[in-house]
Amino acid sequence: MIPRSECKAFLDREPKFDDIMISLRAIARQPKGINSEVKRIIAVARKFNDEVVRPGCLPLDRKMHEDPDHLAWDYVIEANKRGFYTMFIPKMFGGGGYSLAGIAYFLEELASACGAIANIVGVHYLGVTMLFSSWNFKVINRVCKDVVKGYKEGKPCILSLAMTEPDAGTDSQNIEFMDTGSLACHAQKVPGGYKINGNKIFISMGHMSTWHIIHAYTDLNRASENTVMLAVKTGTRGFTFGKKEKKMGQKACPASELIFKDCFVPDENVCIDKEDASRLRSPVKDTNARIFAFIWAASRTGVGAFGVGTARAAFEDALAYAAKTEIDGQLLVNHEWCQSLLADMYKNVLLSRLAYAEASYANGLHGMWMVMNLKPMYYMTRYTPAGILKFSISALSRFGFVTNFFRKICFDHQKDEAIDRIDGWGSLAKVVGTDAGITNARLALEIMGHAGVRQDCRAEKVLRDSKLLQIYEGTNQINRLNLFKRMVAKPIPQAEVFSQANL
Amino acid sequence: MIKSENKELKLVEKAAREFSKKILAPGREENDAFPFGPFFNDVLDKAFALDLFHIQLPEHLGGMGHGIRVFCTIMDQICQEDSSLGGIIFTNALAQSVMLASGSEALLKSIAEQSQAVPDFLVAFSSLANPNDISDLPTAQSLDGSYFLSGALNDLVLGGIAKQAVVPARISPGAPYSYFLVDLNGGDVIRSEPVMSHGLHACPAVDANFSSAKGILLGIPGKGDSYFKKGFETLQLVAAAMSAGVMKGSLQEAIAYCNKRVQGGRKLKDWSTMQMMLADMTIQTYVADMLIARACQAVENRENDWQIMVQAASLHIQAAATHLVSDGIQALGGVGYMKDFGQEKRFRDAGQIQALLGHAHLKKLRFIRQFLHIGKGAGEAAELKPVIEVNVKEGGKRLTEGLLQAATLQAK
Ligand SMILES: Cc1cc2nc3c(=O)[nH]c(=O)nc-3n(C[C@H](O)[C@H](O)[C@H](O)COP(=O)(O)OP(=O)(O)OC[C@H]3O[C@@H](n4cnc5c(N)ncnc54)[C@H](O)[C@@H]3O)c2cc1C
Repeated sequence: MIPRSECKAFLDREPKFDDIMISLRAIARQPKGINSEVKRIIAVARKFNDEVVRPGCLPLDRKMHEDPDHLAWDYVIEANKRGFYTMFIPKMFGGGGYSLAGIAYFLEELASACGAIANIVGVHYLGVTMLFSSWNFKVINRVCKDVVKGYKEGKPCILSLAMTEPDAGTDSQNIEFMDTGSLACHAQKVPGGYKINGNKIFISMGHMSTWHIIHAYTDLNRASENTVMLAVKTGTRGFTFGKKEKKMGQKACPASELIFKDCFVPDENVCIDKEDASRLRSPVKDTNARIFAFIWAASRTGVGAFGVGTARAAFEDALAYAAKTEIDGQLLVNHEWCQSLLADMYKNVLLSRLAYAEASYANGLHGMWMVMNLKPMYYMTRYTPAGILKFSISALSRFGFVTNFFRKICFDHQKDEAIDRIDGWGSLAKVVGTDAGITNARLALEIMGHAGVRQDCRAEKVLRDSKLLQIYEGTNQINRLNLFKRMVAKPIPQAEVFSQANL
Repeated sequence: MIKSENKELKLVEKAAREFSKKILAPGREENDAFPFGPFFNDVLDKAFALDLFHIQLPEHLGGMGHGIRVFCTIMDQICQEDSSLGGIIFTNALAQSVMLASGSEALLKSIAEQSQAVPDFLVAFSSLANPNDISDLPTAQSLDGSYFLSGALNDLVLGGIAKQAVVPARISPGAPYSYFLVDLNGGDVIRSEPVMSHGLHACPAVDANFSSAKGILLGIPGKGDSYFKKGFETLQLVAAAMSAGVMKGSLQEAIAYCNKRVQGGRKLKDWSTMQMMLADMTIQTYVADMLIARACQAVENRENDWQIMVQAASLHIQAAATHLVSDGIQALGGVGYMKDFGQEKRFRDAGQIQALLGHAHLKKLRFIRQFLHIGKGAGEAAELKPVIEVNVKEGGKRLTEGLLQAATLQAK
């Protein structure tokens, strides 16, 4: 038919087989155990939705309207009780050991009942992802220990991710813009650690988090090469909370200001800094770019899943309304025009789910969890008793070589094209899923008429909740450009992205 | 600015703008907190004193007798800042229109004459629905020449504020509905707490339950639908003007922000992605303005197809507004989602305004069905005359003076 070498040449041609057929490649390589995990976590989420989220989300939203300063601890405590904050932490760090490759499905389920409560759970894993992206086993181990302890003692210990600053949103999240941006969170090297000064804003779950994984910069004019990732614990001297934002939706998940004033962070809480990064083969800036790529690839896939969840919520509301409402003597669901719209909404859900599923597979194959997803590693961690794993990691994490080993694999040995793939698919999943959320929510309002704009009928809340998803984790506009950079521009060497040439 | 060279109209526009900027805008966030914050009674009082609730009411009934263009101009300006007041004016005007269409001038006159304060004058109405699309309307029983209404009516807008409501009800099961004027303060109407809504928070609705509440029949029994249609056919243009106002507010805020905010070392306005977004928003806003101006002209000149133009313009603008306001948030990034800026409110308000006068898709279907000669209303369109009388030339003088005066006082 066709010789092997020729076949390879054809498959390496744009669009490259490896870029566009992720699931086909991943299914063969991914440990089978993940399938049953995904089924189980979907069931777990559905149970939580039935018992907690659906009965409570509308009254909670109403309460937040009434008192925007309210903190929804009840829900955080309940999620903690069910082990949601440890569930996706690897067993070697004391967690439930569910593969992060499955988290997106879990988040979709939660968001299909309430975007805000989904965020209350999901945002913690943003922090976890950022923490893990440094592969600093010592810090990871210490922070995860707190999370696990919080689970066991019924006192939630959750993580936030803090990059955004008052004058730097997009600028704080894209390596290309960091040096021309107005980043202001300064890290000064002092004996035994760093002294931090500056503010972070819009930090989801800030006020309710125990650990905050933040970015600060030793040189504000060349931030891209001088980024420090730190873990800061609530209560640390010099660190306080500022205002809570008054948001349009996702009200139960606070967006907080974090204020650092001569806040000393000891070396033991430095996840990665320039010195660490300089020990790697790649230039520091490239390593920082990879860290971003790993974080965004994972977190944007999750946000895509949130979007699918809200798209589904809107679809389900519209369908339920159409199934019980008569117009012109006939159930709405039997009007042909309405059937077409409902089919469209269903299509939006399904297609955008495929997008985040592909992105999840990409993360599993090439993302920051790839090592954990390798069959030997997966089954070793699955079947080794948790106590032994924890003990060995605690012992090993004291030695720098474990950290170095993981960093070498993730930063030095990962191919550029694999990074492009995960980051590109992350952006794609985010844009597709969150746009579907808005499209479906708008359609639901239109189909439901005056019922659609009532808070107690939920659809309007779904629309409010959905809108955030197009903004955070990089606006959809920026994600489109990132998709272009990672997936479209590759065969066009003269293409410049995120540069002054694009003005 | 509903495009016009008419000097009087420009004065009205200026005055309404001043009123909106100086009286409405400063309290926007606080007013939007209703029902969990105070209701903006002071703004309503000012609006009442300025005859903003009398805009379209004929002069012989104590109103201003303005035409559609003046009405649209004022609503456009108001909704650039805070559509809740627009929603109140709109709902009241819709109730007035239905009463006018049913020939209930005497009732309207007595309401106008006896009104000491805003609630006395306001008439609640289910302005978020076409009664044809509500399956369980209240029933009206005739007893000794009077009617008594029983049953529930959800989303009665202004039901918690107004002294009276115009309520659709059926005299017998399955019969075409009729309209009744009901005193809401009588003990036989139970009203819920304000319904929490998507937008227009300070234009609240209630769910009402009537238990043998006395109602005065408006016009002829069973003719409710044709009265509604009469109000609908011109007031949908007013609703579109509200959307256009929201669009302008959103566009202005987006442009102002992009002129200020720097990311990537450049002002946002310098990035061509943002320019595209702002271009789309600007195009849609201008198109909305032009459509309204043209549709107003068609109404004023009683052009043959004025109803069609009004419907097409309204449907287009209301849909366009819901897209534009989403970009309006997006242009501001994270702060667009926060209450400190007007964008998130405009996002919600645009959705609520689109729901005025009934389901968006059903309005569209009814629109095309007239051409296709399908259904009950087919062929009726051409017979209908506008309820709002045309009065552009005189339009505005009294109102302009009042508005300007108020704005100057407020500024002082
Ligand atoms: C409720 C909420 C929760 C959040 N949670 C977190 C969190 O937990 N942690 C965290 O770190 N951050 C968080 N964020 C911040 C979020 O990630 C940022 O808001 C987002 O990335 C956009 O940044 P910005 O708001 O500064 O907008 P800006 O960067 O100012 O962007 C404004 C507009 O300009 C456009 N733009 C900017 N630069 C360019 C360019 N170069 N080319 C073209 N267009 C451009 C953007 O697309 C956007 O439309 C949150 C935000 C919100 C609203």
